[in-house]
Amino acid sequence: MRMISTLALAAASAIALASVPASATGVIKCKAGPVSGWKTQDELTKKLTKEGWTVRKSKVDGGCYEVYGTTPEGDRVEAYFHPVTLEKLYVGRRGEVLFRKQGY
Amino acid sequence: MLRIILNKKLVFWLFLSIPALLMMVRFNSGDVLAMDMLHPTGEWSARLMIVAMILSPLVSILGPKRWLNWLVQRRRALGVASFAYAVLHLIFYLIDMGNLDDILAEFWALGIWTGWAAMLLFLPIAMTSNDAWQRRLKAGWKRLQRLVYPAAILVLVHWIFIHNNLGPALVHFIPLALLVAARFFLSSKILHKGI
Repeated sequence: MRMISTLALAAASAIALASVPASATGVIKCKAGPVSGWKTQDELTKKLTKEGWTVRKSKVDGGCYEVYGTTPEGDRVEAYFHPVTLEKLYVGRRGEVLFRKQGY
Repeated sequence: MLRIILNKKLVFWLFLSIPALLMMVRFNSGDVLAMDMLHPTGEWSARLMIVAMILSPLVSILGPKRWLNWLVQRRRALGVASFAYAVLHLIFYLIDMGNLDDILAEFWALGIWTGWAAMLLFLPIAMTSNDAWQRRLKAGWKRLQRLVYPAAILVLVHWIFIHNNLGPALVHFIPLALLVAARFFLSSKILHKGI
C-alpha cells in the first residue's frame, strides 16, 4: 500500500514538474559560427517578402533561422534558412517535407 | 465565511478559467500570435483532462480522502474546462491556419488527424456533461463518458507528433497510465472500492 501511495505521489509531482513549457525540436541544425557573423532576421524577412513569402514569425532554432509563413506558392510552412548565407535549407508542413537541401 | 465562498462550485469554475483569461489578455495585447496560443491552450486542455481522469484511480488506491472527495465533486468542472480549452485550441488553430486549403493539406499528418479525432470524441462527452443527459442516458452515460480513454490516447499521439518530441507528453501521460493501470491490475483486495 505504501508503495502505491509513493507511486501516486510521484505521479502528482511529475504533473507539477511538467509545467515547464515544451518546445519544438529543431529538424535542421546549422553550424554557422558566431552570431556576430550572422545576417539579421530582418534581412531574412525582407529578402523573403521580396520573393513573395509571407513571414508570420521567425526565430533561431538549431543555430538556423526558422520561419513560419507562407511560400510564394501559397503553402503554409515552417522553413529553415542559413543565418549567414540566408540560403533555404528546409521547407515543410506538418507531416510532410517539401524541400530539404542535400547535406541537411 | 471565506471557506464557504471558496467551496462554492462557481468559484472553482472561475478558478479554472484563470489560465484562459491570462492567455486572452496576452493575445489581445498583440504581443503573441495565434500560433503561440496553440501550445498553452492544448497543454491546459490535456492537463485538466488528466486531472479529471486520475481522480477515480486515486480514490481506489488511496481510499476515501477529503481532498479527493472535494475534487471528485468538481470533476465535471474539470472535464468541461478541459473541453473548453480544447475548443480554444481549435479556434486558435483555425485562426492561425487561416484557410481551408492549408488545413486540408496537413490533415492526414499523424499529429493533426489525431487532434481532430480527439475533438470528435470530446464533443459527445462534453455535451452530455450535465444532469439532464446523465438522467436520460442512465447506465449508458457512464459508457459514453468512457470515450475519454480513447480520446486520451489520441491526445497523447497528437502531442508527441506535433512536437516531434516525447518528453513533455510523456511527463503528463505516464502518471495517468500508471494510475489507470494500477487500478485495473492490482488485486481488488488492496484497492478501495472505486467510484
